Amino acid sequence: MNTTALEFSILGPAFAAGLLVLATHVPLGIEVLRRGIIFIDLAIAQMAGLGALAGMLYWTDAAEGGQPFAVQACSLGAALGGALLLTWTERKFPDIQEALIGCLFVLSASVALLLIGQNPHGGEHIKDLLAGQILWVLWPQIGLVAVLYTALLGAWFGYRHRFGRAGFYVIFAFAVTASVQLVGVYLVFASLIMPALALRRTKGVRQLVAAYGTGAVGLAAGLILSALFDLSTGPTIVATLAVCALAAGALAAAGPKQ
Amino acid sequence: MKTRSIALCLAWLVAASTAQAKVNVFACEPEWGALTTAIAGDQANVTVATTALQDAHQIQARPSLIAGVRKAQLVFCSGAELETGWLPLLIRQAGNDGIQEGQPGNLMAASYVKTLDVPKVLDRSQGDLHAEGNPHIITDPRNLRIVARVLTDRLKLLDTPDAARYEASFVTFDQQLAARIEAWQKEAAPLRGAPIVIQHNVWAYLTNWLGLKVVAALEPKPGVPPTTSHLAGVLTKLAATPAKAIVVAAYEDPKAAQWLAGKTGLPVITLPYTVGGNKAAEDLFGLYDTTIAQLLQGIK
Repeated sequence: MNTTALEFSILGPAFAAGLLVLATHVPLGIEVLRRGIIFIDLAIAQMAGLGALAGMLYWTDAAEGGQPFAVQACSLGAALGGALLLTWTERKFPDIQEALIGCLFVLSASVALLLIGQNPHGGEHIKDLLAGQILWVLWPQIGLVAVLYTALLGAWFGYRHRFGRAGFYVIFAFAVTASVQLVGVYLVFASLIMPALALRRTKGVRQLVAAYGTGAVGLAAGLILSALFDLSTGPTIVATLAVCALAAGALAAAGPKQ
Repeated sequence: MKTRSIALCLAWLVAASTAQAKVNVFACEPEWGALTTAIAGDQANVTVATTALQDAHQIQARPSLIAGVRKAQLVFCSGAELETGWLPLLIRQAGNDGIQEGQPGNLMAASYVKTLDVPKVLDRSQGDLHAEGNPHIITDPRNLRIVARVLTDRLKLLDTPDAARYEASFVTFDQQLAARIEAWQKEAAPLRGAPIVIQHNVWAYLTNWLGLKVVAALEPKPGVPPTTSHLAGVLTKLAATPAKAIVVAAYEDPKAAQWLAGKTGLPVITLPYTVGGNKAAEDLFGLYDTTIAQLLQGIK
């Protein structure tokens, strides 16, 4: 055990990034679970990643930070394309939506592998995309995402009854495009599904608050454990989120029935 | 109050650790950690970012890495883009002015030796992003002498009161190393001209030093799995120019080498590559002792 890495200036940005992701993903996760389209974020996140990858391969200076807006636009474009495609398939083939989402995920992951086949650092790009590098996040990035997420949350809680299916998918695409690049696909999936799953039987505002709490505790525990025991941060948070979700689920089941 | 006492406690820990060791060194790879210990002894508090069984191209982000770079007076790495996937991020994240590029606290070993495999035309499609040449300089101990000199000068600069001590231990180390290099070269004389197959081109300096002849590389583009046509080409080449062994590094996945061994019956020699790569390679001298012993045993 080592306490030297237990410093706010090291863990602070990662904690803030994790909280931001939870802020949007917990309510979206509750909706995803309600609709029964669990793997949608894997598919959309993979599309966003594929877009970013294609952009980075096209503008070769992008890996060093050149053309950031072009790469973001590619990423968002791919995510939105995937989202709109899924909106259309949900209307057209509602009974096979989950299967189509799975196919889109595998297809976009494989296209990404083909794209990086010739790139010597491709393997690293793919791993970064999946496991994420939440520790490398800097405050300016967090600021940008905070602005975007405030707008998304405003739209979600203020107007979600007015826009239908497409609105959900579009907000989802924006949220995931940003979060995947901050924390990686695995952590995005965990933030989206685990708290929502644990509190699936709780209703209303209590559900939202308890799910946020579960996520935040899991995030903080993961960061602290990874600092104390020198573990890879992203995967540790996924594990602690799972433990917290289990505990919260058990508590919710033991509590008063509604 | 609580946060304050934690902060005080942390400050005490930092103070306690700096009182024992004067220079905090963050080494990217085990060889540079071992070299620092050889020159500075207990004057240095060494943190090593990777193990001998890890590919230094890619590592996962851990909080301790940021903490290590933050408190370091010296960041000591291979350079030549070996750590390009993570070191720049780490240095940016750590917010430590003394170890930024161009500062005395930033030492990239490959900048001081004559690097091999420098691409004539920089073309990313070749799968070779090492514009500054091959970064695996540790496989030739003559590079180690050059880097030891540079390291000693840096330590003297960063910790002037102990300058004489660093210089003295450098002189001893360098004399020992020079004598051993001569002995190794004599011992390895039978290896001169021996044809080998390598898995990935981390051995450029070793083969150049000992005069080994590389017939083929199984994974010519680092990080990109070989294509079927490339592997077929390797088999054709081997039919024309038979090799004596396949050489892989301990940290590499030996799948490609085992595949070729199964096809051709050639022995696979798994070299430690760096300090800690196997039991015998427990320090820098042991590393080259066992490397040469294993090569002599495998190539007959």
